[in-house]
Amino acid sequence: MKSALRFALLSLFALFAGSGNLSARELPKSALQNYVPWKDETVHTFENLLVQHEGRVKPLYTVARFTLLQFLGKSAVSFETQDGEQHKLHYAAWFLDVLFRGELAKDMPIFVIDDSEAVVQIGVSPKAKRDRYSYNELLPGRAKLSELSAQYAEKQDQYEKSEKDPQYELDRIEGMILTLGRNISSFEFLVGQLGFARQGDLLVNGNIMPPEITELAKRLDTVEMIDKMPEITVEQLVQMIRQPAGATEEERMFSAASRLFFFHASSARGLNLFPPKDPENEEWTSAGDLMLAGLASKDERPWVKEQLAGIQGLVKAQAEGEPAFHSALQAYSDKQHEVAEARGEGTHSKLEIQLYRGKWFSNSLVCFIFAFVVMAFSWLTPGSTMGKRLLFLAGALAFVGLVLNVYGITLRCIIRERPPITNLYDTVIFITATAVLLGLILEYFTRLGVGTLVAVVSGVLGMFLSIKYEAKEATDTMGQLVAVLDTNFWLATHVTIINIGYAAALVAALIGMVYLTGRFAGLFHRHENPDFYRLLTRMNYGIICFCLFFSLVGTVLGGIWANYSWGRFWGWDPKENGALMICLWTLVILHGRMAGWIREIGIHVQSLVLAIITTFSWWGVNNLGVGLHSYGFTEGVWGALYLSWAVMGVFMLMGGIVWFMERGAKSSRTATAPSGKEVTA
Amino acid sequence: MANPSSKSIDWSPQNWPRLLFQFFTSFKLATVVLVFMTLVTLLGTLGQVDHGLHAAKAKYFHSWFFDDKIFGIPVLLPGGLLLMILLFVNMTLGAIVKVRKRWKGFGMLISHIGMLMLLAGGFVTWAFSTDGYMALYGGMSSNRVESYREWQLEIMPLSKEGVAEKAWIYPSEYLETMRSDEQRVIHAETLPFDVVINGYAPNATPIPTSAPMAAGVTGKEIDGFKLSPQKPSKEAEQNLPGCFIEIRPRDGGAPIEAILWAGSYRFDPREKPMPFTFTIGDQLYGALLVKKSWTVPFTVKLDQFIFERHPGVSMARNYESRVTRFEEGEPDKSLEIKMNEPMRHAGYTFFQESFGPSGAQPGDDMFSQFAVANNPADQWPLYSLIVTSAGLLIHFLIMLVNFTTRARKRFANPAST
Repeated sequence: MKSALRFALLSLFALFAGSGNLSARELPKSALQNYVPWKDETVHTFENLLVQHEGRVKPLYTVARFTLLQFLGKSAVSFETQDGEQHKLHYAAWFLDVLFRGELAKDMPIFVIDDSEAVVQIGVSPKAKRDRYSYNELLPGRAKLSELSAQYAEKQDQYEKSEKDPQYELDRIEGMILTLGRNISSFEFLVGQLGFARQGDLLVNGNIMPPEITELAKRLDTVEMIDKMPEITVEQLVQMIRQPAGATEEERMFSAASRLFFFHASSARGLNLFPPKDPENEEWTSAGDLMLAGLASKDERPWVKEQLAGIQGLVKAQAEGEPAFHSALQAYSDKQHEVAEARGEGTHSKLEIQLYRGKWFSNSLVCFIFAFVVMAFSWLTPGSTMGKRLLFLAGALAFVGLVLNVYGITLRCIIRERPPITNLYDTVIFITATAVLLGLILEYFTRLGVGTLVAVVSGVLGMFLSIKYEAKEATDTMGQLVAVLDTNFWLATHVTIINIGYAAALVAALIGMVYLTGRFAGLFHRHENPDFYRLLTRMNYGIICFCLFFSLVGTVLGGIWANYSWGRFWGWDPKENGALMICLWTLVILHGRMAGWIREIGIHVQSLVLAIITTFSWWGVNNLGVGLHSYGFTEGVWGALYLSWAVMGVFMLMGGIVWFMERGAKSSRTATAPSGKEVTA
Repeated sequence: MANPSSKSIDWSPQNWPRLLFQFFTSFKLATVVLVFMTLVTLLGTLGQVDHGLHAAKAKYFHSWFFDDKIFGIPVLLPGGLLLMILLFVNMTLGAIVKVRKRWKGFGMLISHIGMLMLLAGGFVTWAFSTDGYMALYGGMSSNRVESYREWQLEIMPLSKEGVAEKAWIYPSEYLETMRSDEQRVIHAETLPFDVVINGYAPNATPIPTSAPMAAGVTGKEIDGFKLSPQKPSKEAEQNLPGCFIEIRPRDGGAPIEAILWAGSYRFDPREKPMPFTFTIGDQLYGALLVKKSWTVPFTVKLDQFIFERHPGVSMARNYESRVTRFEEGEPDKSLEIKMNEPMRHAGYTFFQESFGPSGAQPGDDMFSQFAVANNPADQWPLYSLIVTSAGLLIHFLIMLVNFTTRARKRFANPAST
């Protein structure tokens, strides 16, 4: 058995070594001759700038993070320049390039494409099957990409309208092209954001503009132009642009200038960097909105020009060199924070950066992985002093992982001023923390090593899932809430309690797996140490009771909330049903045990069924596409769920085999008992 | 524990009451019922994907039995109603009547009482509650609540100005039971004609006979239109029923035929319904499919509807209604109804449900829609939760103390185990 364990450990090390090799892969080549990185101080100042995005004032750091995750699925861009240098840019530095050195950003490989068929379809030469491309590499296929992504967006729209008629469902490649089209548009939009502040700069698709406008752009200062424009609305401006230019040189100039103004104003919308003048107004504005506001009202123009000149100053300073740029950036940031703080906004921006820079959740995962490795070593010398010390060390590492996780959760609570769970991502980190805590508490009372194992495995799987989920979704995980969720009381009670129930169900399943693995593989000898298994069963029974309490209370609380919000306690909504099924199955286990139908093996096997129901309730029902709780649709969930259910099915099968063999052994003992007396084992 | 197979069971008739009592109080029955409830809940959840919530509720949860296919195999299964009744009986007899009353089981006894309260509350809600909605623009007032899904046929005498004071009603309970190939001749005592209804479809749309789609539609053509039955929507509230009616004057006059379609009813509180009008003798009549409605014993006036979005995005942050409640024509109270803060009065509860018209932007004139519920068991789940939680807490605390005491003893002295 020890040799098997050694083999397992060697395999684990081989896996680590393999992952090391993977990280040493050749970096994608960039067309850039060389690259001069930003100084850290510049990046730090930049990332702390505030922006109102998706209804919330947040640091630019957060926007940069999720934008790069959306394009690349990673938190850093790595590439090799033509001079042979390797570079790794984290999101804030990359975003700084996108806004201020757009031409460089266009040559960075930031668009990940999982299947080269997608690039072939838009007429671009493919690289590897799955590879990263820069904007400039994809530019030859830009027109085809626009055409196809518009076509697939229409198809997807029809799919939704037809209540998911399969004939309109996008295939994998179509989905990729649609995503790529959206990502490319977002990138162009970002690169063009500060175009208004640069004379002569029509960075994005400059060739779409007529030559006279490109020429004009080199001479005209857009900010100064505001004063020279008539007082008109945006609708009037559009109407004016559509009309023929006129006969005189002056009229032609004015028409071209109007078009240029409209181009810059349109390009600079969306990145809301400017707090409004009116303290009662909650809506921040973008440079483009400011330009249009200045156009519409002469009274606004002095203030608008002052705001835009701030950005223009940054662009000019950047051209002068990094020291000047940093000073200008710092001054701009200080002023912006001063205004925001006076409005009571952006007060947690530094904490938010700390949350992401601290990497609390990924460091937590590292702790759990180390804890697992240490624990695996402890199995080489079970029962020895060294083994016990290693087990203790594993538990201590798991505890550190838990502390890091809880610290991250706490930061998120402070930043949002909300209880720990408001969305699906929160459930992952919260359930992980709860499961780890339950495992460690079990270990404290039982000292069997099983509690630590449960804690460590929960930690590794949960934190890995949270990181993968965040990268896959690539949207701000601290977004605003819909009106019905805007209640800290119910979020703190119903949502938190029901997720504790989920965590307990998963812990029960892990204990069940340990039990069934032990019984099946004969790792422990039941007849030598039957107490071990009895204790495991009692542990599992206790956790199932714990699960019942929290699931039942959480479910009924959810019903009471629904009664307050929607006027009905129970509506057979899929999420409600999922919670009900968890309660029902825990009751099946408890009553089946009382009925004498479920004993030791039965409890553990049924705890796996409970986990299957729990994962269905947690992830599956959100993806059914029906009900009030379909808030967390995630692509690819069903595949992961089926896999996890198959794994649990294997453990249940092991339980079935053990039960069958045990039953056979009992029958044979009963049959061979002397003097005809009945013997029960 | 004795082996049950070693006991012989007394099947004599005088022993049947005891056997029945044993059956209904057994843990085995409880386990079987709970397993079936889990299965039915799962099927009812998955069934919503294909059939929608309303149809799935009726089939799986409000039924005695239902047939379904599991992995392609047809099965007959007990419905939610039967299972809940069995569970109620089992809990009452097993966990309350039969159970030995001792301190160790005190927590369980209490928690089962709590669950019985919850089930009883569910039954009262199912049997006696009503729910509907009231939609108002600012300045409008009403005491009338409309059903979400139930449609009825109304025929009303109209004044020369087109105003109706009373109506003859063919209730939704009857109308909804009609098949598409069924014809019903109704003799209305208060009307000088018989009403013939046929071709009823729970979801339909009238199409002009000139449209290419009309070629595939069977059924009568009336005034250049045919009634095309549609697949019922998964969201039952979206269904717009339709039917043919024939007015047969009893004085021997020529019959009048028409297509009635629920789409002629209003979708916006300010719109006027458009009945099909006809004249019998000198009297003008209007016929219309309308939503079933009822009144509440007070009037609600919407003073102001407030709608807020999160800054810069379309997501609603808050919507609330400032209303004045009138009792017998006199203002009684001014209050706010908003998400998670309903108005409860005279047995009715008004919830801030939604708003309209769809696509309205902040600043547009918008109506506010309230869900109006009358549920005698409104607060029972809360009471049940308190009782059940207290019971479970007591029970599990006793268990936890036992478990930790044993575990600590074992840890302190492994040899003793």
